[in-house]
Amino acid sequence: MSSSDYPTEEQVAQAAANAEAEAKSIEAESSDVVVEEGHENGTPVSDEVAICFDHVTKTYKLYKNDKQRFASIFWGKKKRELVTTVNANNDLSFEIKKGEAVAFLGENGAGKSTALKMVTGVAYPTKGTVTVNGHVSALLELTAGFDKALTGRENVRLRGKAMGFTDEQLETLIPKTIEFADLGVYIDQPVRMYSSGMKSRLGFGLAVSSDPEILVVDEALAVGDKRFKEKCYARVREIMEDENVTVLFVTHSSGAAEEFCKRGIVLDKGTKRFDGPIEEAVAFYDNMA
Amino acid sequence: MSTLVNIIRSQWERREQIFSLALFDLRKQARGTVLGPAWLFVKPIVYICVFWFALEIGLRSGSNEPGAPPYILWLMGGLVPWFYIQTMLGTGSSVFARFKYLVNKIKFPLAGIPTIFAIAEMIIHLGMVALLLVVYFLFGQPLDWYLLQIPVAIVLMFVFFYMFSLTTSLLSAISKDFKNLIVTFSTPLFWLSGIIFNVYDLGIGWLQTLLMFDPITFIASMFRCAVYDKTWIWENPMAVIGFAVVFVAMLVVTLVVYKRTREEVPDVI
Repeated sequence: MSSSDYPTEEQVAQAAANAEAEAKSIEAESSDVVVEEGHENGTPVSDEVAICFDHVTKTYKLYKNDKQRFASIFWGKKKRELVTTVNANNDLSFEIKKGEAVAFLGENGAGKSTALKMVTGVAYPTKGTVTVNGHVSALLELTAGFDKALTGRENVRLRGKAMGFTDEQLETLIPKTIEFADLGVYIDQPVRMYSSGMKSRLGFGLAVSSDPEILVVDEALAVGDKRFKEKCYARVREIMEDENVTVLFVTHSSGAAEEFCKRGIVLDKGTKRFDGPIEEAVAFYDNMA
Repeated sequence: MSTLVNIIRSQWERREQIFSLALFDLRKQARGTVLGPAWLFVKPIVYICVFWFALEIGLRSGSNEPGAPPYILWLMGGLVPWFYIQTMLGTGSSVFARFKYLVNKIKFPLAGIPTIFAIAEMIIHLGMVALLLVVYFLFGQPLDWYLLQIPVAIVLMFVFFYMFSLTTSLLSAISKDFKNLIVTFSTPLFWLSGIIFNVYDLGIGWLQTLLMFDPITFIASMFRCAVYDKTWIWENPMAVIGFAVVFVAMLVVTLVVYKRTREEVPDVI
């Protein structure tokens, strides 16, 4: 067993200590900008940190072939024959305050989804630390992962259970989701009968009904018909205004980003290229392309 | 050590969730049929009947000694745990593929996923054990202390094959070779592990010793000690030692593999 694959506890502790010190200095630098932003738009932005990325690098190993992948289980780092390693996120640092709405802009493969996966907690950073405070509800690939054999209602219950809701919470979550998804008689039919639009409605309904503290939206609003899309936009706006939740919005369309967010982070090949007010971020992104 | 604590604690915190997800999985298996849950038991029962017919009626392998317990009890003692083990060798060796949404859509402890599947299968298994006991008492067999070996065997089987399922599922996620390897060996293991022949009657010393290290043989033997042989499993010390060795080895392998692959698996599945 090689301990070199992952940082030891000591290293992690050290990194965390460094991070804390650095985070404080970053905070000092950027805090007035954020506060100003908050006042300008009339949205409450607290000082509480919701998400903190501290020098996060996420490396994907690309093996030459399946044989090398197989061999990698048994042999140490040196013997692995890799085509290359890809840093989907490269030394990425940022801090997002509770109640902020931040857009991640970037080309395909810029590392937006990887960053969001780490926020959701389904991927781990190779280096650095990711801190997340609050219940995350993610709209990662909405239609994926529903069980085709179960009905829509059962799927909502199953997902709710898997996300850690209690039975009492499910009593309010399920009707709320069903009402939002508005699938009529189909809600009690197996999901294999659903059209792709219906599946995303169900997924979206679940994500926005679960009272998230951090809502992660990954290009999800591009689905469904116009009327449902408007309903989704309205719901996201409502969540952002009333419930003081943090929203992370991933997109390549600058229109949607400007509509929802006050701050934009531009990523390119895994590194942060720009972080600031959304108009400037969009301008930066458009120039880059 | 900290890895072990991590595996156990991450699941204990979510015990209720894991249990209800297991019930969901069962419900799903019974979905789309009129008979529903009955189907979960029909297949093993048909297997038991077919083996009983082939072995006792066809091949006359039953004991000729007067006063011996009915052969069906010996057969069920091997087949009932085998059905559980068989599923753990099959689907159990790639559970992350089955519960993909828990791996890369929702934050859920990776180590808890094999538990969901194991509990679902365990519920079916407990039903089969109940059936075994019904048959046992219908043949007028006594209620005695030997029967206590059954719950012990069930717990050992659950824990051992949980570790097996976690390890192989992690490895299968990285390379499908593992899944294919195990699926390929599933049927041979049935014939080699003494599910339908008596390991202690082989008369080939070295083979008998080797089979002491086969956990499948151990579990089946423990069931048979309880319902047929009326002995204690430790009356054969070699069997207990063999199982203990394999158990500890499995634990070490599980911890190593888990530590090494758990952060990589969500990326590759």
